Amino acid sequence: MDTRVTKKKLGLKERYAAMTRDLHWDTTYQPMDKVFPYDRYEGIVVHDWDKWEDPFRLTMEAYWKYQGEKERKLYAVIEAFAQNHGELGVTDARYINALKLFIQGVTPLEYAAHRGFAHAGRQFTGAGARVAAQMQAVDELRHCQTETHAISHYNKYYNGMHNAPAWFDNVWYLSVPKSFFEDAYTGGPFEFLTAVSFSFEYVLTNLLFVPFMSGAAHNGDLSTVTFGFSAQSDESRHMTLGIECIKFMLEQDPQNVPIVQRWMDKWFWRGYRLLTLVAMMQDYMLPKRVMSWKEAWTMYAEENGGALFADLARYGIRKPKGWEQACEGKDHISHQAWATFYQYGHATAFHTWVPSKDEMDWLSSKYPDSFDRYYRPRLEHWDKQAKGKEGRWYNQVLPMLCQVCQVPTLFTEEGDPTQISLRETDYHGMKYHFCSDHCKEIFEHEPKKYAQSWLPVHQIYQGSCYPDDINPASPGDSPVREVMRYYDVHAGEDNGDFTNSKDRKHFRAWSGRMKPQGMGE
Amino acid sequence: MTSKDMFRHIGDYPMIQQDTEDKFHGKHLLYLHWENHPMFAAPFCIPVPRTLPFGAVIMEVLPELYGEHPEFEDIDWKSVQWFNSNKRFIPDVGKSLEHHGIGHKSLIRFRTPALEGIRAETGF
Repeated sequence: MDTRVTKKKLGLKERYAAMTRDLHWDTTYQPMDKVFPYDRYEGIVVHDWDKWEDPFRLTMEAYWKYQGEKERKLYAVIEAFAQNHGELGVTDARYINALKLFIQGVTPLEYAAHRGFAHAGRQFTGAGARVAAQMQAVDELRHCQTETHAISHYNKYYNGMHNAPAWFDNVWYLSVPKSFFEDAYTGGPFEFLTAVSFSFEYVLTNLLFVPFMSGAAHNGDLSTVTFGFSAQSDESRHMTLGIECIKFMLEQDPQNVPIVQRWMDKWFWRGYRLLTLVAMMQDYMLPKRVMSWKEAWTMYAEENGGALFADLARYGIRKPKGWEQACEGKDHISHQAWATFYQYGHATAFHTWVPSKDEMDWLSSKYPDSFDRYYRPRLEHWDKQAKGKEGRWYNQVLPMLCQVCQVPTLFTEEGDPTQISLRETDYHGMKYHFCSDHCKEIFEHEPKKYAQSWLPVHQIYQGSCYPDDINPASPGDSPVREVMRYYDVHAGEDNGDFTNSKDRKHFRAWSGRMKPQGMGE
Repeated sequence: MTSKDMFRHIGDYPMIQQDTEDKFHGKHLLYLHWENHPMFAAPFCIPVPRTLPFGAVIMEVLPELYGEHPEFEDIDWKSVQWFNSNKRFIPDVGKSLEHHGIGHKSLIRFRTPALEGIRAETGF
């Protein structure tokens, strides 16, 4: 009879330890500092990596199992969605433009986040932090893929999605999210986690995901909703990592506090500027609205964020600089952004339109202090133009951009929505322009970094965004048209007013619905 | 610029100024902003020759940028207040931008006291 070998099975905790921290060893051929230089140069002092609390005790084995199950469910729904012509089930073809903004501007961020976490997952000296970052790197890659798959069904039927990854690298409004993440992942691993895990995912994530995912639910977009559910459990892990990293840095050494505070100041403001695009989507692009941007900001930023910073006060952390300005901006930024995209609607890769009267009334009711007074008159003027003999107005000349957030300098002064907020500084014999005190301050802390910003408007004038047959010194009567050709954005099909779009025509013909909600036909 | 520079990096970090004047095909960038008229979302950015006379800014450039605003044709150019960034100046229409100290990436702001756009008549 064979001797029976009893295999001792590891408990959950032991298995977890074996599969994470036990994978670490201290190097002997080379000094540790040389092998892990990146988590030192930022100035964060760590005395004891063992104090890092792993925010989610997940082994790779369990990770694959959970994610695999979620994936199967997600793809079953996507398949059913395609079979049932889900692309016609949405409230109105205008809704698709929110998805275009998502696939153009958000999905590539998932990939950028993957790169950032892969880097952090190599560079932290502590094994717990490395493993957490590595798992998140895999999550982010998966999100990029599943979002692409969930939305690709729409690409078969609607315009404005066919070249999204290339647009992300070139198009003016997509340089806003792109530069945000490039700024983050060219920082060290601690700054990256403060930027993405804490400021973006912990403080601001609800303001990104709720508008898109609830927007999808309200507008009949089952495939995107299912993606949202599938990503949700990952997001809560990501948020936990953000707060853990902050607490770890703050508890390790008092020297870390001012560094972390400055990063919070910077990344709160960078994130807030980026969310301008979401604010606009939420108030203007959803045919069936969820809540206003102002309501979302009040709930998720002011109430939840306010409680968070009250909690962090015991470490000597205060609310980020710019908090007050951001709260004041909730009455304005969505309207200012939509007016910008409307007038540059021939230079986007989605459609724009003037809201219907009902929709403007909704905006009036949600923004009693600002909409009628500052924003309604120009929309009504444009509506009159579009319907009259003048025709739809497009602004043919390119705008000034902020050197840091890269948004056109469209924001107004705190307390005076009639004055555009403009700031400038001199650096190495050249002027640099900003949308706000906060973007200016970010520049002044690290001017060498932002002096190299790739600003799409300046690049167009330098000649980096014209097709080969165009002389950049004299690009002809419509430079914007040539730039669109270079972007592979099909003028009039991928952009322009929704009213005359193929998307609208097709949706009406295919769905047999002649009266899209709210368009007042 | 004040010395708040706190930039930390590993190894050599090259100095790259992306938008130096030599990259704009003999022109330089000029920003223009008509205050209180947010029908135009943001100040404009255009390449212009350094030698452009200020008169041409008024007669040729501005109508192209702002001509579609209903208040534009009512502008009384004699009463316009001009600013080079925040510094008030009186333009000489026969002299060049360069003569006015307006160089690469300068911002010209102008106010039309009788035409207040968003604050009054048009609302934009």
